[in-house]
Amino acid sequence: MRNLWKNKGFSLINIGGLAIGLASCMILLLYVVYEFGYDKQYKNYKSTYIAYTNMKANGKTFSWAWTPGLLSQELKENVTGVSNSARSSYPISLLIGNGENKLKNKGMFVDPAYLKIFDFDFIDGTSDNILQNINTVILTKSLAKKLFGNHSSINKIVKLDNLEPLKVEAVIDDIPQNSSLTFDYLMPWKLYEKRETWTKKQGWGSNFCLTVVQLQNSNTLAQVNTSIKDLFHRMDKDQENELFLHPLSKWHLYGDFENGKSVGGKISQLKIFLLLAICILLIACVNFMNLSTSRSEKRAKEVGVRKAIGSSRKSLISQFILESTLLSFIGTVVAFILLEISLPYFNNLLNINLIIQYNDWRYWLTLICLILFTGLIAGSYPAFYLSSFEPVKVLKGFSIKAGSAFSVRKVLVVFQFVFASCLIVCTSVIYQQLNYIKNKPLGYNSNGLVQLSAEGNLKNLQKINLLRERLVKAGAVTNVSTLSMSLSNGGNNTSGISWPGKNPNTSVLFNNRAIGYDFVETIGAKMVEGRSISKQFEKDSNSVIFNEAGIKAMGMKNPIGKKIKWDTGENVIVGVMKDFVIDNPFQKVEPMILYSAFKDNVSVILLKLNPSANVTASLSKIDEIVKEINPDYPIDREFVNQSFEQKFENEKLLGTLSNWFGGFAIFISCLGLLGLALFMAEQRKKEISIRKVLGASTGNILTLLNKDFIKLVAIANVIAFPLAYVIINQWLSAFEYRVAISFLPFSLAIVISVLIAILTVSIQSIKVAKANPIDALKYE
Amino acid sequence: MIRIENLEKVYKTEEVETTALNGINLHVKEGEFVSIMGPSGCGKSTLLNVMGLLDKPESGSYKFIDTELLTLNDRERSNFRKRNMGFVFQNFNLIDELTVFENIELPLIYNKIPTAERKKLVNEIIERMNIVNRSGHFPQQLSGGQQQRVAVARALVTKPKLVLADEPTGNLDSSHGNEVMELLCELNETGTTIVMVTHSSHDASFSNRIINLKDGHVISEKINKSRNEELI
Repeated sequence: MRNLWKNKGFSLINIGGLAIGLASCMILLLYVVYEFGYDKQYKNYKSTYIAYTNMKANGKTFSWAWTPGLLSQELKENVTGVSNSARSSYPISLLIGNGENKLKNKGMFVDPAYLKIFDFDFIDGTSDNILQNINTVILTKSLAKKLFGNHSSINKIVKLDNLEPLKVEAVIDDIPQNSSLTFDYLMPWKLYEKRETWTKKQGWGSNFCLTVVQLQNSNTLAQVNTSIKDLFHRMDKDQENELFLHPLSKWHLYGDFENGKSVGGKISQLKIFLLLAICILLIACVNFMNLSTSRSEKRAKEVGVRKAIGSSRKSLISQFILESTLLSFIGTVVAFILLEISLPYFNNLLNINLIIQYNDWRYWLTLICLILFTGLIAGSYPAFYLSSFEPVKVLKGFSIKAGSAFSVRKVLVVFQFVFASCLIVCTSVIYQQLNYIKNKPLGYNSNGLVQLSAEGNLKNLQKINLLRERLVKAGAVTNVSTLSMSLSNGGNNTSGISWPGKNPNTSVLFNNRAIGYDFVETIGAKMVEGRSISKQFEKDSNSVIFNEAGIKAMGMKNPIGKKIKWDTGENVIVGVMKDFVIDNPFQKVEPMILYSAFKDNVSVILLKLNPSANVTASLSKIDEIVKEINPDYPIDREFVNQSFEQKFENEKLLGTLSNWFGGFAIFISCLGLLGLALFMAEQRKKEISIRKVLGASTGNILTLLNKDFIKLVAIANVIAFPLAYVIINQWLSAFEYRVAISFLPFSLAIVISVLIAILTVSIQSIKVAKANPIDALKYE
Repeated sequence: MIRIENLEKVYKTEEVETTALNGINLHVKEGEFVSIMGPSGCGKSTLLNVMGLLDKPESGSYKFIDTELLTLNDRERSNFRKRNMGFVFQNFNLIDELTVFENIELPLIYNKIPTAERKKLVNEIIERMNIVNRSGHFPQQLSGGQQQRVAVARALVTKPKLVLADEPTGNLDSSHGNEVMELLCELNETGTTIVMVTHSSHDASFSNRIINLKDGHVISEKINKSRNEELI
């Protein structure tokens, strides 16, 4: 303890570095734990599964958690090992209101069995006999509060879509944020069938719902999967799709499939973060070792005296370990303070809600392990090194040879900088890739393109026409069109298209979208051939347009005027559109068929803002007119480029995190370097003084001191580059469109790391270089 | 060659002020060999450091030939020092990581002498000092006397006008000490001015003039007749 106080500056660097390292490590660990906790809040999560469909098309296998509506019952009744099964729709944003208090919130339609599989926390009501009646609803706590304030909501009536009166049967606690199920209220599946009558008539080829399955025993998964693999085919001879169950606990982290097999997913990103956490902690430990051993010269005498008066090596080692554990404890306390301060920012950054679980024993256990681990690792080298000094040598005018101890320290510094420079390379490539994808042409012009969700009156084509007329007249927009899906989302697809000369054994999957008139003009896309769906052609209900990828997939030449068959109907190709990105900007554009919107397949209205008008004014005009035409619904509009931006969240997150924690890692490395420089300068004080007496300038001395460090950093870079290349290449390989790895990130890494090293070392060495040489030479 | 007038130097720590030099006047002629003697703490090392431009006095004047040195800035001092002065220390102050050759070469490097000429100069002096077969060795492989020879060689390689020696024999036994003193004498005979701080009157007897310091004052000055006669 006295020792720590005596070397305040040293202790500060040491504890500070350790605290930052520990805090970074803890934040990352909290995040990793949060991600690992996904969907594990439910009692039965281990025996709960999501049914997936494998579909072969376009030469690859697509895996979806979409299944036919008939599946759930079949599984429950006729598959051994299945104890329960339920359907649910995907969350849909619908208007729900208590009188005039109307909100747009996410609702899901589920079978009653759904509430047996997931043990939601019932605040009011029970899970028995619930959602049996068609006009019922379960609210989450926060929605109930929004709708009813502090009054009880049980047995009250809410209105769905201004249409269906629903009786509130129960209130459940809010769904935790790290749950793949996201909804604000649950409604009976029967209501879904009533609203979407088509769902009742669908056979085994139509995948439109999510099926959750509970097994009696999670060990039987392989068996069950084998027995249900060809279930679709057994039910309907025409169906070639395959079925399998994917564990609920892996739903979030292992969401990527290749050839129908799980190949990971977000887990790989999580592994990177875990690695980052460990590396940062190691770097902090390395720092500790560096700083501790660099002080060894001063402490050597203490060791010598202790040994001389009979202290055994063992007790010396334990003394040093104890000291480092104490330091790591203090570091942890400081880290906690840092953590509590930074957590809100971090949560804000990631848009999640991490909290420290002070009342969870596992948390404390991890913490204690972390302290002990850090103390042990960080203290071990100095402990063994220092305790190995021979007392006689130490007491008789001691000088540590610049040999072995120093080279270990050099290795440690190299290790730190390998890590730092790897991070610099990776981070800059991640940013390059993000920019590359963001700047890649979409195939349409998303600027000033507004998407309005079509609800209530706006589902009606006449009203849409009215809206178009009024908006154009008001000068707010130049073009209006519609689309059956949000422009930035995935959605419907079909393999039911055939054309002359199609190989009957291959299946080609087409995205299908219904478009309104002027679609191509509104989004600013281009036609390659033919024409778009247009008002001028009365018979356009039969016309279809393909994108280039679609024509290519069919292998068709001169497509205009050719006929294709889609399910039972016959259509004529009137145009070919240039490929444009709808769903995944990282992948190649998939084949797509576009047809004329009729009746109710409009889900968004696209508005192209008038470029010569003021945006704010245009938007308020739009809001005004939409409110007039569709008074019952709140206005739900967004800019397409903003919603498109959300697709980059994962990559942005990765970039941001590696930036921040990379920064921390570099900062900690700098502290280590500072320590080493401190030591070097101390050790070479005499030499520097001699050189100064002999006429060396400050510049000469700085070069001399920096040279060694630059050498170390250069070596670190040489080691880091192939490593970084492998890592980043691996990361990039997940993208079909990827930026070429250039020299830029590597040169950036060199420049930054060398610059940082020089600056850090110079802070220390400039003091020595400027010092009066006499001071060091005088008392020898 | 050197005219020092009214030199004052005060060391300040938090508690005490120590006057190390208290109005020193000292003239040294070119080619002279001057010893400075006195008890510990009398200011003799401080005086030597001030003369070597390693320390700055509070006031006074220090003229080297006709240049006033106390008004120079750090860079100018450093430049002046490396061109005109050489140092020999009690503890040799050789750099352990460099060989004998490299140690001697160092001041030439800082004087920006081209490589070829450097080599020539170093080899000349190594020969003169009788340490030819040691040029590739490291300082620790040498005896104390040999180390001090190397230090003297290093002080001389730039052919300085003034050599400052701070107890050059303090760490040596008497025979090695005599060797070094003889070396300094030889040097002096070839025209180099030498100022030496010493405790030993034996060493002082090698010089032309002995100055006694006490409490920062010059208390006596003695011409060393035997040596001067020798000179004549």
